[in-house]
Amino acid sequence: MANNAAHLDVWVDQRLAVLDVAGDWQPNMSRALARLRDRSASPSGRGRAWLWAAAATTMAVCLSLVTFPAPRALAQRCLNCSAALLQNFAAPGPGHANLIPEKDRKPAPDFTLTDAAGQPVRLSALRGKVLLLNFWATWCHGCKAEIPWFIEFQRAYQSRDFVVLGVSRDDDGWKAVRPYINAKKVNYRVMIGNDAVARVYGAAEMLPVTVLIDKSGRIAAKHAGVVSQSDCRAEIETLL
Amino acid sequence: MVVKAAETQFDLESTFRAQYGRIARIIARVVRDRARAEELAVEVFLKLWRNRQAQDGQAEAWLYRVAVRTGLNELRRQTRQTRYERLLGFVRRSPTPEEIHAATEEQANVRLVLNAIAPRQAELLLLRSQGLRYDEVAAALALDPASIGTLLRRAQQAFRKEYIKRYGE
Repeated sequence: MANNAAHLDVWVDQRLAVLDVAGDWQPNMSRALARLRDRSASPSGRGRAWLWAAAATTMAVCLSLVTFPAPRALAQRCLNCSAALLQNFAAPGPGHANLIPEKDRKPAPDFTLTDAAGQPVRLSALRGKVLLLNFWATWCHGCKAEIPWFIEFQRAYQSRDFVVLGVSRDDDGWKAVRPYINAKKVNYRVMIGNDAVARVYGAAEMLPVTVLIDKSGRIAAKHAGVVSQSDCRAEIETLL
Repeated sequence: MVVKAAETQFDLESTFRAQYGRIARIIARVVRDRARAEELAVEVFLKLWRNRQAQDGQAEAWLYRVAVRTGLNELRRQTRQTRYERLLGFVRRSPTPEEIHAATEEQANVRLVLNAIAPRQAELLLLRSQGLRYDEVAAALALDPASIGTLLRRAQQAFRKEYIKRYGE
């Protein structure tokens, strides 16, 4: 056994011996030292590799954008989307009011709906105030994103004859809406809408729909889809 | 901070002067091109310089491990490259005089066997045949010195088995 082991030892050593580097080979120390000094003084290879990777990625993206129209369109859309998102969520800078000229404004169709307290709310009874009429539903994510902004508008402008009215399009009615508005501490009046009201305001097909009504009871602006918070604020301030 | 950097540089250089020849030879055993082996040896010291942890205490053992690993990695890369070139039917580039001088057929065979067995076992065999003692091999590969004998035996068996499978006795 021990003999076998010794034999194996010798056998492997003989095979590996062919790898031995000839004794006359002297690695060039001064050249290597110069290379070492040079490399250890320059930024680390890893750092440089990152730099290269970043540059190459940027280049590839640019090239593909230039070469292929599809990515270009996609990039444009991405840019637009992110710009819109930034505008809404990050930078509440000065908004841009986009109101219907006064001579072209049409009277807002009247309706009577019941609020959470069981009180009837008649639109025409609120003439003389600026109204923000918001059609929404608890299952609509875009709608829910807007609600905190409307709460803030209501708080900021209620002393200046401004009223927010929410009209829910939930099929389950108060069963779905009441827990939600309680949880979010909605500070304005919310009603359950019906198809007729939704249809005249264009909210039968899509949500959210936000309508601004001026002090004379005419429609001053109509937004289908999520509003821009800053634009909406600018419009309210213009109407007040 | 500048003083600290200068100190490190100084330490690196003295370690380098003491060990460079040995590290370059370890790599040259598995890498056929000597200029490439020298390049890789410098890389090993640069790794040491960047890896501050390895500098305290067992820098020597660390250097041996990294050298042998670097050599084996390069061997693997070269073997792969040769295989692809042959597979794709590329015109075989003529070997440099250095290569002709360095790679005899037997050397190439041994290298291929080392490339085929488990990397851990190849490391063990190379360090041992480099003349390192059991305790030095154990320190370099972070192994229990008591188990080196057994592990070495297994590595030798694996090497022999693979060698005979390819080239006969």
